[in-house]
Amino acid sequence: MAINTILIVEDDRFIGEMYVRSLKKAGYDVDWMVDGNDGLIAARNKAYDLLLLDVMLPERRGGDILNALRGKEDLIPNTKVVVLTNFEQDDDSRAEMEKHADGYLIKAEITPSKLLSVIERLGA
Amino acid sequence: MAINAPRRVRDFWPRFERRTTWLVAGLVLFFATLTAATLWFFQDTLLNYPMESLVIIAAVAMSSLITAILVHAHSTKPLRHLLSAVTHVSGEPSATTPPRPNDSALEKSGLGVVLQTIYSLASQTAPEDDAVTPAEAPARNVVEAALDSTLCGFITMDEHHAITYANKAAPVRVDSDGIMTLDVIFNGEDTLSAWLTQCAESSVKAEHTWARVANKLPNEEDRRFFDIIASYNKGAKNEVVLVLVDRTQLYSVGEEELDFIAFAAHELRGPITVIRGYLDVFQDELSDVLQDDQKELFRRLAVSANRLSGYINNILNTSRYDRRHLKMHLAETTVIDVYDTIRDDMALRASSQNRLLTVSIPNDLPTIAADTTSLGEVFGNLIDNAIKYSNEGGAIAVSAALNGDMVDVAIKDHGIGMPGNVVGNLFQKFYRSHRSRETVAGTGIGLYISKAIVESHGGTISVQSEEGRGSTFTVSLPTYRSVADSLRAGDNNDGLLKKSETGVYIKNHSAYRG
Repeated sequence: MAINTILIVEDDRFIGEMYVRSLKKAGYDVDWMVDGNDGLIAARNKAYDLLLLDVMLPERRGGDILNALRGKEDLIPNTKVVVLTNFEQDDDSRAEMEKHADGYLIKAEITPSKLLSVIERLGA
Repeated sequence: MAINAPRRVRDFWPRFERRTTWLVAGLVLFFATLTAATLWFFQDTLLNYPMESLVIIAAVAMSSLITAILVHAHSTKPLRHLLSAVTHVSGEPSATTPPRPNDSALEKSGLGVVLQTIYSLASQTAPEDDAVTPAEAPARNVVEAALDSTLCGFITMDEHHAITYANKAAPVRVDSDGIMTLDVIFNGEDTLSAWLTQCAESSVKAEHTWARVANKLPNEEDRRFFDIIASYNKGAKNEVVLVLVDRTQLYSVGEEELDFIAFAAHELRGPITVIRGYLDVFQDELSDVLQDDQKELFRRLAVSANRLSGYINNILNTSRYDRRHLKMHLAETTVIDVYDTIRDDMALRASSQNRLLTVSIPNDLPTIAADTTSLGEVFGNLIDNAIKYSNEGGAIAVSAALNGDMVDVAIKDHGIGMPGNVVGNLFQKFYRSHRSRETVAGTGIGLYISKAIVESHGGTISVQSEEGRGSTFTVSLPTYRSVADSLRAGDNNDGLLKKSETGVYIKNHSAYRG
């Protein structure tokens, strides 16, 4: 499944803009939400190919969003989810998110070009 | 060990008597000969010079006195040991340490068996004390009531190390047969049972303390922390006494600190993400415009930002390790796959600092059980050190080889090396050698946390170093096959192997080791 549309839920403006810039330059169709509630609504309203989800978010944490989307039933079966965070969660919370996600990355460990290669691999 | 050592009590005396007789006879004979020779040699002096004669006579008298003292010390030695052991089992306070039956000298002479008999006789007769006289009963009730009202746990164990008494605050689990077991999670290999085994082998009287021992895993309800003080008294009725001081309030502050560090890391990582990200973008987008020297400056910026994020991981891991939260997610992988996750970063670090990094990891090595991220951090720390402690243009070699059931990964530099006294302290937290404090930047937690991570993999880390010649750090990791086998066969019941879509995960039994 080729990836074309991407939703980013990210509250840090610098980081959000950086990813949006790189992804758009690489030809993706990108939407960006800053708070958790808006992120959840956007993810449910449109079938994105990929959701890049932060953990520490205003209004609603990333873990809650993922749980709402995939906890009981998979509301977004056609969407890949990559958790993208700098927050060091406790092991259980992290394992819970990893269970429902297709990837889990620490933002400080990757660069936009590495993110692009991860997305390419996911779509392959 | 002394294979011929006497094994029966009655063997001691004939042997001791024989030896002592020979010793005394030998000494007396020697001394008599010496006296006779002296008199013969100095007979003229003795007849003609009264003053000099006195000196000679005094010397002879003095040496006979010393001989007598030596003989006395030797022949009363068993008596002294016996009295000391009896004093110990009588319960009288005494400043001297009671003799250990398996002391090699005592074992050889046969006295060890005698002492062992005294200690075991004492422990057999002790239960008679159980018949509590009516006068003692109220006192005992008062003591038990007092013990139950304190927050400190109090536990006694018999010579088989079964719990004979535990007060209310003591963290014990009672099974359906009413058998009590201590319900705490010791950190690492320094456990109560390990210590008791060691005591049974080599001590008569010993004490040991453990700090910050929890009774539950993180995130479990009603988690408490204890400082545990144990006393061991061989042969006593209560051979082991444990006092558990509840330190939950003090140590749970540490739990909050962990949150603080997690939040601080989050805050620090944000700016690093942006710096690394835009450096990456700029290097790419400005590659046609930048001069070579400017490109080099960009590389240095990138290396520095990468190292910053490495340091943050070290701090996070150390904080987790110190709070017993460090947890490894071991999965089947290969050394080369782990190295590939850091390969570009390491190549950049080495080249920007003019080091010649060569990596030769064979493709066909057996798989290992590893937490890729953590092990990558270990290799990164070791290569970072190799860069730090070597000179411009120096060669650094990373290699791997199979060694029995272990895969050895060696990081070798030709740098300044270390003297032996530094090597011994190297893996301690915040340890920095005198010299490196002056000349090299760093925090001193890299090797500390690397050791913790490697040991949580069931592996070891070691160093060989020669001052002025360089150092080789070797990380030995068990092959996946050997770990999976021993975990499956082992008696730990931690849910050993967990299948997941992406491979077999081992819920590491040593996960809470740190």
